[in-house]
Amino acid sequence: MGTIILLIFYGSILFFIVATSLRVVKVARTPLHLHWELYKGSSIYELTEWWAKTHNPFGEKLWSMILDILSLREFYRRNRRFWYPLFIFHVGLYLLILWHLWLFIGAVVASAETASSFGWVWGTCATALTFIGGAMILWMRVTDKELKVYYPPIHYVKWVFLLLTLLGGVYAVDLHFKSSVPALLKYVREQVTFADVEHKLHPAVAPALHVLFASVWLIYLPFGHVFQLFFRYYHHLRWDDVPNKRGGMIERRVKELLERPITWSAPHIQSGRRWREVASEFPQSPVAGSK
Amino acid sequence: MATEKKKIKLQDISLRTEEPLITVTADDLMPLPPPLDKIGTKPPYPPLSAAKRKEYECSLDGVSAVSIPRPKNKEEEDRLVERFLKGLQKLLSRDDNWLFWQPLMQSLESCVRCQTCSDACPVYVSSGKQEIYRPTFKSEILRRIINKYIKKRGKILSKLMGDDIELNWPMVARLAELAYRCSLCRRCAQRCPLGSDNGLIGRELRKLFSQEMGIAPKELHDVGTIQHLKVGASTGISSQAFQNMVEFMEDEIEEKLGRPTKIPVDKEGADILLIHNSGEFMSWIENPVAFAIIFEAAGLSWTLSSEIYGYEATNYGTWYDDVQFARIAVKQVEVARKLKVKKMVMGECGHAHKGLIVIADRILVDEMNFPRESFLPLLADLVCDGKLKLDPAKNNFPVTLHDPCNFVRLMGIVEPQRRILRKICSQFREMEPHGLENYCCGGGSGFAIMNSMNFKEWRENISSRMKLKQILETFNDVLDPGIKKYVCAPCSNCKGAIRDILARNDLWERHSIYYGGLVELVANAMVDMEKPFIDWEWH
Repeated sequence: MGTIILLIFYGSILFFIVATSLRVVKVARTPLHLHWELYKGSSIYELTEWWAKTHNPFGEKLWSMILDILSLREFYRRNRRFWYPLFIFHVGLYLLILWHLWLFIGAVVASAETASSFGWVWGTCATALTFIGGAMILWMRVTDKELKVYYPPIHYVKWVFLLLTLLGGVYAVDLHFKSSVPALLKYVREQVTFADVEHKLHPAVAPALHVLFASVWLIYLPFGHVFQLFFRYYHHLRWDDVPNKRGGMIERRVKELLERPITWSAPHIQSGRRWREVASEFPQSPVAGSK
Repeated sequence: MATEKKKIKLQDISLRTEEPLITVTADDLMPLPPPLDKIGTKPPYPPLSAAKRKEYECSLDGVSAVSIPRPKNKEEEDRLVERFLKGLQKLLSRDDNWLFWQPLMQSLESCVRCQTCSDACPVYVSSGKQEIYRPTFKSEILRRIINKYIKKRGKILSKLMGDDIELNWPMVARLAELAYRCSLCRRCAQRCPLGSDNGLIGRELRKLFSQEMGIAPKELHDVGTIQHLKVGASTGISSQAFQNMVEFMEDEIEEKLGRPTKIPVDKEGADILLIHNSGEFMSWIENPVAFAIIFEAAGLSWTLSSEIYGYEATNYGTWYDDVQFARIAVKQVEVARKLKVKKMVMGECGHAHKGLIVIADRILVDEMNFPRESFLPLLADLVCDGKLKLDPAKNNFPVTLHDPCNFVRLMGIVEPQRRILRKICSQFREMEPHGLENYCCGGGSGFAIMNSMNFKEWRENISSRMKLKQILETFNDVLDPGIKKYVCAPCSNCKGAIRDILARNDLWERHSIYYGGLVELVANAMVDMEKPFIDWEWH
């Protein structure tokens, strides 16, 4: 049993790294799409000869992304009622992720014996916020007429499982480790340094269960919405305001794409010919007749 | 008293019934402010005749926008369903659909079903929140079809991902119609906190039907892009007819200005090739006339083109078909290149702006990668930098601005039109909401030119209803017919849609609410015009 848990734990970390990397590579390799932008205010097209002007600075985009992700600004503006629980949940979650990072780093670099109880306060507050926010979201998803619309059953399962994971964490930290930060850091050190294999093969139920729950989340995360949100900013989905300049990188990519064959089958398409050929055929050549 | 609305579930899309899933009644409609606040009993659109119902698919809401003939037998139904599935596979393939694959996948995968977008949709709200018009309704159906029939996730996982939807001909036919109940204004996409674009999903559905199954409204395809490619303009105007219209425009200018003016046509090496929506020549000739007066008064080096494709800015492919879009965009630019002008300037046409300036940017390469810009910054410079002698007192009547979605949300051109109006109209007032938050005129994405069967009535009473409400609210303190009012709509299709709602509700006759473009107001404010440019005659 201990071996299985160990395999699941380390396997899930490996899976998380591999799956996330594959997803990033997949997104990075997506073909350049047509310019289909939405604007949050005045754009460069308000200027004459816009193609010769400088575009949005990278810093502005980055700052906007940080604000969006940390404060869920779009929800705050558009759906305030739903923003309250979402914000509580996300603040808790961000603190919880940071707390786990602190645990992993602290367990290796600091002395567990002298660790202050601040770590416990941090973890407990983060867990409480995440739990309260998560429970509020689940409640709204169950009771709010609009939020129930088309919400897939699997997501209810996800929220219940998330709350169970948090309760499992509380059980492990406060009952098993008796709220002792040194004991917790000692346990984490065993995990991250691969020390005391014998002990790991016979884990206590509470931390083992929590590790198991956490592993499930590590497997799920690369497919979650967090990545969608991230990619929205970083891969020409928002502020894709970069013009195609002659001789530039975009033009080079467009040229490659125009060499691809058109595969659609309707009568007017002339399937099998390349995009470049079809688009630039002699202006007055007849196009296949009506459908 | 409002009637109890029938509860529509996603699975209903597959119901094998000839009866429509819903029929919108007068009671359902969003109330309007005075003077249209009396709730009538007349249904927003008439039912199709029994013969039409027998011939065409209309089981979504009793409306037919696409005129899809009913399959003759089960075999034909199955063949069409198979083609739909094949098209869906292509839509989801990065090789077949590289043009929109990434934003489509983002939109399909990122929705958290918070429904923040729902109330942003003018069709959904105006119709009394009919479930089938909810922005996420069609997207959700598509997701579930993909889960079950493309990803083949199995029965249990499919069930966990959402209720089961059967892929059959009624579902496909309804989905084809549903793709034409959204005007692609993308107000819902602007609202989405996660960046899911239900407007794009609608457009991609239209594309699937056109590019794979050959199904599209005839106004967009047969007498739209096909006619455009054959004749040179979607309105069917030939080069000779265009040249005759230019002569007529010169006569008009002489009458208004009091002196003869030659409109430059096919002037090689001019700085600007001005390209209009050819609908302006057919329905609102005063618009290209005003452009000519302004450009001549400002001393610009400019020209029109009489070359086939050179006098038509529209590109209906923008709304439903990538192949047709690319063909038209390339031909339009080719005209400018041959004429050796320095840049193309788009006249008052929203989708032509977005299509040729923005979307086509990733199609045009080498010498076809030609400078293209909007008329708005140029006009704002002329008006605000004192290059024209203007007197705002000549426009001393209430004016409001309709923001075409393509200018604001879809291009970020928000301020130039306001700078112009503030300079030339002493009684300019904003609609609420406006700018990026504006509402569609109801005629977007081809709706303004789609008039077959009972679609025109659907558009005028449902799709354009929010715009009508906004106009009435904006002018609520000046409804007196003695006060002339002007709705400025600097886009041909928006202008057409607004004309139709004003006419349907007798708002010109009873309350003197008129409509027109932006350049007409500029020309009207010009000091050296012998006669007022705006003639206040309904057309």
